[in-house]
Amino acid sequence: MKHAGMLFLTGFVALSASWAGFILVPQLQIGRASLGMVTGGSDLYPQPRPGLAAQGAQVYRANGCYHCHSRQVRQEGAAMDVILASAGTNQAQVLSAFKLLDLSLADNPLVGLPRDLLVDVDKSRADFAQKTLEDAGAKAMIRIRATGSDIKRGWGQRGSVARDYLQDQPILLGWQRLGPDLANIGVRQPDPVWHLKHLYAPDKVVERSSMPPYRFLFEKRKIRQTPSPDALVLEGDLAPEPGFEIVPTGEAKALVAYLLSLKTDVPLFEAPFSAPAPAAVPVASATNATPVP
Amino acid sequence: MNDSTASSFAASSGRDTEPPVGTAPVPMWLMVLPILLFFGGALYFDWTAAWFNPVVHAPFTSLKQIESLQPSTGGDRLLIRGKVVYEQVCALCHGVDGAGKPGQAPTFVGSEWVLTDNVGQLIRIPLQGLAGPITVKGQEWNLAMPAMGAALPDEDLAAVLTYMRNAWGNQAPPVTTEQVTATRNATKGRTQPWSAVELKAVQ
Repeated sequence: MKHAGMLFLTGFVALSASWAGFILVPQLQIGRASLGMVTGGSDLYPQPRPGLAAQGAQVYRANGCYHCHSRQVRQEGAAMDVILASAGTNQAQVLSAFKLLDLSLADNPLVGLPRDLLVDVDKSRADFAQKTLEDAGAKAMIRIRATGSDIKRGWGQRGSVARDYLQDQPILLGWQRLGPDLANIGVRQPDPVWHLKHLYAPDKVVERSSMPPYRFLFEKRKIRQTPSPDALVLEGDLAPEPGFEIVPTGEAKALVAYLLSLKTDVPLFEAPFSAPAPAAVPVASATNATPVP
Repeated sequence: MNDSTASSFAASSGRDTEPPVGTAPVPMWLMVLPILLFFGGALYFDWTAAWFNPVVHAPFTSLKQIESLQPSTGGDRLLIRGKVVYEQVCALCHGVDGAGKPGQAPTFVGSEWVLTDNVGQLIRIPLQGLAGPITVKGQEWNLAMPAMGAALPDEDLAAVLTYMRNAWGNQAPPVTTEQVTATRNATKGRTQPWSAVELKAVQ
């Protein structure tokens, strides 16, 4: 074979280029990431998972939850709003500030505070509006919010960033969304009883849920002297026969502890947003359908 | 493969040896295309990848863009840094709430030593320490404070003093890094802690 050396070299370059692009450069980029500071506070993020939740990560992994649930909220942009919190004492001054900012003076702008004054403006306009209003004695706040379809669905207040996964090994990012994203499930659904019932009978908790029941994480047993405080409260055809109860096993409890530990509700330098969000957070829908605006 | 098919193959290809590699000119478009592709890729990288910066994630494209979205202003950042330093260095004796501890450390809340206009006095206390009798809000103390701030960088010392002057209901102008640097230079060589009388004499 002629040109064997050339052939080898071509193959080597092709493979090492993709190795460098997929492994070496990301490793150099975020391989040594460390805990970060929560914006506006002194807490380190992310905190290590408590013991039971760390065990739950293994249950999550063993049951393949990541086959149907992602743990990654996508963000498509960021927007700044200016909120007028209070008008202060000198209303005439504030109204002249409105004029300076080219804001409408129609339908009594100083009633019904706090209200959004400017929506989706850039940094310089937001800063200028805040300064102008505060010089007039009013109190104005700037709200920074993440935008995108995942945020609209209520799956999180910001996009996921590399630092969110520092306490995970392996990182169970998921690649399909047969079910909703779980990056922020601990904030969206903080009730452990809801989670246990949902694992036992998903379609009874969420209408038209396509999730299979995980009943093998529960145990049906005879009630001895006193019923277990952990026993599920079930109605209808799900209820066990009298004298029996359905109790979660240690695995189910660990899995729920893990789900409750999944929180991306703090702002970071690389994922800025105003916290706590002054506006109402949209209620997370149970399905993946795009919400109707 | 038997003989007849082998010879018919050789006959159909016209020769019985491997064809040699000839040289043919590379078409111009094939040379221009990779250059254009590389140029486009480099442009895209420059616009969106923030030069491998580890804290820039999509949808953000540059560090500057993220910085412009940070909620806190410069002053707030100083206070946040000051709170962190305070809780690491000062809070053990003076308390997280700045109220001090009986027999250990006087209060910072409303203390005339903290809120003083003569910040040189205040900066000297953490730099070299303070020993002997001192009156804080009408209460006599006679303790010794080590030079807790001597090892802190000037920015951190300024941040923590600014935090003390603006937390827990205190309100006083910030202490700047320049003021701390100036005081540190002015007191260079001093190893003894200050006394209240000496501090009062500082202008």
